[in-house]
Amino acid sequence: MLPGAFVMTELDNQLTELRARFSYEIEEAGDEQALEAVRVLFLGRSGYITALRRSIGQLPAQERPAAGRVINQAVEAMQAQLLQRERTLSARAFQEELNHRIDVTMPAPDPGEGSIHPTRRIIETVCRYFSSHGFAVVLGPEIEPEYYNFDALNIPADHPAREGFDSFWITPQLLLRPHTSPMQIRTMEQHRPPIAVVVPGRCYRRDAVDARHHFQFTQIEGLYVARDAHMGHLKGLLTGMCRELFGAQQQVRFRPSFFPFTEPSAEVDTTCPLCSGAGGTCRMCGGSGWIELGGSGMVHPNVLAKMEYDPQVYSGWAFGLGAERLAIVRYDIDDIRRLYENDPDFLQQLA
Amino acid sequence: MRVPLAWLREYVELPAEPHRVAEMLAAIGFPVDAIEERPVITGVLAGRIEELEKHPNADKLQVGRINVGNGAPLTIATAATNVAQGQTIGVATIGARLPQMTIEPRKMRGIESQGMMISADELALPGDWFENGIMQFDGDLAPGSDLIEYFRLGDAVLDVDITTNRVDAMSMIGLARELAAYQGAILRMPPLDYAVTGDGPQPIVSIETADCRRFAAQRFSELTVRGSPAWMRIRLALAGQRPINNLVDISNYVMLETGQPLHFYDDDRIVNHHLIVRDARPGERLTTLDGEEHELDPDDLVIAGEREVEGLAGLKGGRNSEVTDATRAILLESANFSGPRVRRMSARAGLRTEASTRHEKGLPLFLTGLGQQRAAHLLSAGGAIAHPVHAFGESPQPMDPIPLRIDDIRRLLGYAPSNTETIELLDRLGFAVTPHGERELLVTPPLWRRDVGAAADVIEEIARMAGYDRIEAVLPAVEPNVIESMAYERETDVAHTLCGLGYHEITTVALTGAQIGERFARAGLPLPHTPVEVMNPLSEEQRYLRFALEPACIEYFSRRHSPARVFEIGHTFYHDGREPRERSMMTFAFSAQRGADPAWRDSHFLRLKGDAEILMHRLTGRRDFSYAPAELSGAHPGKTAIMLLDGREIARLFQIDPRLQAAFDAALPMYACSADLQAIPPYAWPSYQARPKYPSTYRDLALVCDIQLPAARIERAIAASLPALCTGVHTFDEYRGPQVPEGKKSVAVRVTLQRPDATITDQEADAAVQHALAELRELGATLRT
Repeated sequence: MLPGAFVMTELDNQLTELRARFSYEIEEAGDEQALEAVRVLFLGRSGYITALRRSIGQLPAQERPAAGRVINQAVEAMQAQLLQRERTLSARAFQEELNHRIDVTMPAPDPGEGSIHPTRRIIETVCRYFSSHGFAVVLGPEIEPEYYNFDALNIPADHPAREGFDSFWITPQLLLRPHTSPMQIRTMEQHRPPIAVVVPGRCYRRDAVDARHHFQFTQIEGLYVARDAHMGHLKGLLTGMCRELFGAQQQVRFRPSFFPFTEPSAEVDTTCPLCSGAGGTCRMCGGSGWIELGGSGMVHPNVLAKMEYDPQVYSGWAFGLGAERLAIVRYDIDDIRRLYENDPDFLQQLA
Repeated sequence: MRVPLAWLREYVELPAEPHRVAEMLAAIGFPVDAIEERPVITGVLAGRIEELEKHPNADKLQVGRINVGNGAPLTIATAATNVAQGQTIGVATIGARLPQMTIEPRKMRGIESQGMMISADELALPGDWFENGIMQFDGDLAPGSDLIEYFRLGDAVLDVDITTNRVDAMSMIGLARELAAYQGAILRMPPLDYAVTGDGPQPIVSIETADCRRFAAQRFSELTVRGSPAWMRIRLALAGQRPINNLVDISNYVMLETGQPLHFYDDDRIVNHHLIVRDARPGERLTTLDGEEHELDPDDLVIAGEREVEGLAGLKGGRNSEVTDATRAILLESANFSGPRVRRMSARAGLRTEASTRHEKGLPLFLTGLGQQRAAHLLSAGGAIAHPVHAFGESPQPMDPIPLRIDDIRRLLGYAPSNTETIELLDRLGFAVTPHGERELLVTPPLWRRDVGAAADVIEEIARMAGYDRIEAVLPAVEPNVIESMAYERETDVAHTLCGLGYHEITTVALTGAQIGERFARAGLPLPHTPVEVMNPLSEEQRYLRFALEPACIEYFSRRHSPARVFEIGHTFYHDGREPRERSMMTFAFSAQRGADPAWRDSHFLRLKGDAEILMHRLTGRRDFSYAPAELSGAHPGKTAIMLLDGREIARLFQIDPRLQAAFDAALPMYACSADLQAIPPYAWPSYQARPKYPSTYRDLALVCDIQLPAARIERAIAASLPALCTGVHTFDEYRGPQVPEGKKSVAVRVTLQRPDATITDQEADAAVQHALAELRELGATLRT
């Protein structure tokens, strides 16, 4: 036997033993960390393989390439083994986590959820609808002079219609607005047509409080003044609004009425969503099949003229809806007072 | 207005079903509040008492032989005492159905009674408005007539809502006219004719005021005061008017029928048959029909005789010339008074009558004649001698024609009937229409319509008659406009941010009683603002407008034992000494369990501040807020801060003063943040700042300084001393106690350092800290050793 052959055999033996130990060690390694330690021990910069490579230097020069190849083959095999083991371990680790089973029906901890008041939800829905049709949303003061509340709206002192506005007076000239219509005047004073606004706001009337009435309520005013504004637009938008609030089947009905600041004037009704207009013994609509939403009409030419808008050129319409009324219907609330009592259960249910 | 359908049908053909009539009325602008169905009554006939004798076996009973038309007379016993031979009465025959019972044959003390003589109650009429006992009918009523059919007593009564502009429709004829026009039917006017056979002295009316535009006066003599015929009493009762006697009833009947209020003076009490319409004189007094004595105001409009005041115009007559059983002649007044004037008198006298509710809406002059003629007809028919009528003041004149541009119909309604239809619809309502050129109509309203004065009014009439359902729902193409929604959007942002932070929105009433003031007083605290007071509150609980939102939050918390979080957005009001002021406010607040914090720290307050910063960042897009301690009534003096942006207040944060909390009987400490929404600057869009790509480092400094030195001062000083390197200073801990000298505290600050052009070295960072420390020494802050 040649001395070289002996050396090669010796190298083979050493590699065989090393690989046997390596196989044993990686099987022993129970996690990725232990596996890494094995890698460092055998394949690391100062591991066994490196030591073996160094020993090649003692071989005759012509045998060194073969020895190198033998070692490289071994390293490749070991690395493959290592990768294999790594995959096994990682799969085992995932498997362990994936074996977790929880009871998804356990209750969530209290997240400390807040809530938006139902009246605001109604206002937001209505305003969003009108915004999407090009309307701005404006707000106004609750204490208003007589002028904005009445005179400018074609309701002079001694007008019988003032009786319909039993108001809280602050001074002989100032009162808590009994409707949001003063904002029609303020808006028309500040802007020129086209005007398209909705005005949600608090109003006050000296009404005795019961399940359907409150001395404090929220109106949503609408005003549209342009060269071509007509009652069909009013009906169209109110129908759209009702469909947004109550569903695609809603219809809107106009009935003639009287408001000093609109002419022609109309009461607005919508199909009762509770009985779908069937009426009968429906507790929501009292059997009529319709829900009264509020008043509306074409802005009175006297009002337009007072704002120095030529009624021959511009026309406009306005409406005033009760937000609480819409909330009562939308949420099926039995008593308007609940909207001011802030019972936590009420707020949470409707949040 | 109560409208018996039986009465209404006299003037216009109507569907049988009451609800269909109600629907028609609603469709033309007269919604029906209620349909009062009448009870089903059958088998009640008119009967004439042929004979009447005492019951042989009972002192208190009488037995009558009653002619009820066909067949033999019925034998009926009665306990009533107002019966007599020859009377026409109502008989409930065997099998008759009455509201309370069904009539069966029965023996009354041995005599078979074949029915029952009835009172008004049995016809479901208010019994105390009619005879005490058996109801009396008129002699011309044929025995055997079915009373329910004859008087249409089964027909429903509608409660009709009449808008204030339509005083012309506040009557049977007025509503019938509307229904006739809507259906294209004929209006049947009641008879108005009468013969003038008297020629007594002329009445004279002196009108000394512009507030009486017309006064028709007429004398009637040879009167006998007695009960009215049954048909009139029944109609009045169904309409809600109590029958009194033939004179009073005619004046009420004509008012309900035509809409024109009348007054009858006892002519013998009117000196020289002379009436004067004038302002009341200072010191004058009047006792009205109801016995009330009124001290008159010069703004009262009175009808006076030559000696004394005889009545308040359009409101109520005086006792002096009241019609009594002894009245033999009357002076009829059918007059037109100023609506506003009557309204003011009514308010001053605290008195409202059927007459004044009509007068105050401004009656058409036309009605004075109609009312006078109808009353004259009824009085004459009742046997009175009519003397010539004398009318004073203006005569009703048609208005100038209203020019109606045909295009305007479509312009306002979105659709237009054909010209032919338009003219037809207006004609039915009594409007005279003349074409004026191709594109215009001249429209003259009828004399009874004072509410139609402009083209828009005429267009409403067209729409009403054509049907509002013909207005088609279409969507407008709204042109862009410049009006901003900022204030509303801000409220929405506040609400949604606070909702996200776990607060519940509440809505409380803005009118409160004295209790808020009392709570502050009980806590020994002054009110932060002078509240605005309502002049005419509904009750003492609603006398004041809220000056802040916090009290309602405190009340909310005081009602529950566990911690809660709420917010409210709304207006608040205060009096600035000259005038009421109004602000649009937001308050969020929470109640919390008392924590374990030492006296110099409050983690609840810091939570409040954190929430305030999230909210204000959302609203303004900025984070560079600063804070100043403050003292406010109702706030804890050591736990109050004004939150500032650019040196201006944007919010107030505080713990509710524990004394106020106790005064509200609230158990838990409470914290609140309030802001005037208009004081918060608009949202500023941030610009992106690219960060230096070189890594930063930081140094934590434990500093010892005076207790009074605010952490913010230290942070500012450090940042200011290292303008080029310092990219952040954050205080993360505070300590007071034995580890530091008396009067001192320790503050831990992390200073972040970074170079824009290179990685900062440890040496540079250390040098920067030394530089900052040198600056801090001037504030009395030194590195803790």
